[in-house]
Amino acid sequence: MMRLDHGIERGRRIQIILDGERVDVFEGETLAAAMIEQSSAFRRDSNGMARGMFCNMGTCGECTVTLLPGGQRVRACLVPAQVGMDVTRD
Amino acid sequence: MTDHYDVAIVGGGPAGQAAALTLDDLKLKTVVIDEQPQAGGQILRQPPQSFRIPGWMEDRTYAPLVELLRRFEARTSIHWIGSHSVIGLRREPDGLFALTICSPDGLRSITAARVLIAAGCQDLAVPLPGWTLPGVYSAGGMQALLKAQRIVPGEQIVLAGTHPLQLLIAAQLVEAGGGVAAVLFSQPHGTMLKAGIRNSLRAFDRLSTAFPAVRALATLRKHGVKVLYNAPIQAICGTDRVAAVQHSGGEIACDAVGLCYGFVSQSSLPRMMSAKMRRAGPAGGWATLCDEWMQSSIQGLYVAGETTGVAGANAALASGNIAGFGIGAELGAISRDEAARRVARHRANRRSLLRFARLLDEIADPRPFFPALRDDTLVCRCEDVAFAQIGPVLDGRSANAVKLVTRCGMGLCQGRNCEPTLLRLLDNPNDPGFTARFPARPVPISDLAT
Ligand SMILES: Cc1cc2nc3c(=O)[nH]c(=O)nc-3n(C[C@H](O)[C@H](O)[C@H](O)COP(=O)(O)OP(=O)(O)OC[C@H]3O[C@@H](n4cnc5c(N)ncnc54)[C@H](O)[C@@H]3O)c2cc1C
Ligand code: FES
Repeated sequence: MMRLDHGIERGRRIQIILDGERVDVFEGETLAAAMIEQSSAFRRDSNGMARGMFCNMGTCGECTVTLLPGGQRVRACLVPAQVGMDVTRD
Repeated sequence: MTDHYDVAIVGGGPAGQAAALTLDDLKLKTVVIDEQPQAGGQILRQPPQSFRIPGWMEDRTYAPLVELLRRFEARTSIHWIGSHSVIGLRREPDGLFALTICSPDGLRSITAARVLIAAGCQDLAVPLPGWTLPGVYSAGGMQALLKAQRIVPGEQIVLAGTHPLQLLIAAQLVEAGGGVAAVLFSQPHGTMLKAGIRNSLRAFDRLSTAFPAVRALATLRKHGVKVLYNAPIQAICGTDRVAAVQHSGGEIACDAVGLCYGFVSQSSLPRMMSAKMRRAGPAGGWATLCDEWMQSSIQGLYVAGETTGVAGANAALASGNIAGFGIGAELGAISRDEAARRVARHRANRRSLLRFARLLDEIADPRPFFPALRDDTLVCRCEDVAFAQIGPVLDGRSANAVKLVTRCGMGLCQGRNCEPTLLRLLDNPNDPGFTARFPARPVPISDLAT
């Protein structure tokens, strides 16, 4: 995975919490984009196999994560990263 | 209080934008709802507002679409509701449509006299061994990562499938500095493919003049990217992530794969309303039937863009204009005659674009090339239903029945990914597919209870 930087300004570096760890991301990039920077694997399926995002357009649900403390289940490929977000992949 | 509009449009792509501008010109109170934060649709998926990307979609072939988008965004009289999914659509006893819309903040409802569904399309999901490994994306999704997030999800990417769009995506990836290991076409480099590619890309959008297949191929050659024909992908290998693909002629090491077999219309909302559908194109999926004003079989429910069959961004734009005038005439904001005069050129334009789209369908036809499934290949990604569970229960059953027995289609995607595969396996042209259910997009159960 690579973030292209040639001639691009990405806005502020911010921190969000991902599975309890602080990670640096760019404000406004999608949570899914921030997550694949860490790893292309997002979760394990019922067979114990690693799984990642697939469609990047909100139709497959593979990137679903939970926002804390409210517990909302959201599709990470649709949601922009904002300061202070607390995200868990469970 | 429920907000009320003359017209509610689902989808802020070229079709929805064109319709909204027409309706706003006719002084009708119009709202556009999209689950993306910003307008643009799939073709012009916009980067976050905090990004500065000089030259974004500057290529002149995108110019009419970018111009439309800028006009749409500048028109403050059109109500824009971004970051909201339309999860329900129904008709109230008083004849109005009620739309249930959902965001992380919860659910709400709006009403409208007329509804236009311009929900676009999605990549056809094609199961093959290993396709659930992290690092495997739909090719359109990979392209959207590049367009809007400026991310290349690998250093040795393989694109594989039957759709010529993968040449353009590969060229865009390498031009942005990404590494593409190979582009694999399942079909042979036949005369038809050669002759058709230039036309087909023109059909898909006006990328053709700047990025004809020829130019994409030249870009790929310059970067030393292999383009192989008659090389159907058979399996994707790896343990915790993609490590290689196997095709008929060997194995290629890679760290990401984009699957590109074509596109299928979004159909959940029209099907929820029981609008008449047709089986669409060789790639599968369901297109919503409509009349010459883009009205579906349900009075007052209009459809435009890829919802009516996949034909590319310019055809979507044309049909959005037609739908706008059609709705305007029905609501009495313009006379039918005047509306007919104003849509004549959009209809002519759309007709010729649809002809090209059919040619493209033919060239990209995935049907002879679907990869063989193994027993453990997941057909339903959401509920982890493998081919071994589905194969034995196919006999004489309907898609709905197989869903009940196996849970195939019961997950978050509502069957959007597995339905085309299941219908293909069932091979019954009269099967109506899964019954569309509320909600059209996943919602937290707690929201539904409130
Ligand atoms: C990932 C992807 C990439 C593509 N890239 C290209 C390309 O590079 N070139 C090209 O010519 N074509 C491309 N296409 C085809 C593309 O769909 C059309 O060219 C064009 O965007 C169609 O316009 P439209 O208005 O019909 O739909 P879209 O542009 O797809 O717009 C539909 C909009 O509706 C929204 N939507 C759908 N359902 C709901 C709902 N229930 N609630 C709220 N919002 C909803 C979507 O978020 C989307 O923004 C791509 C398609 C996909 C799926
Ligand atoms: S990756 Fe498919 S919904 Fe986000």
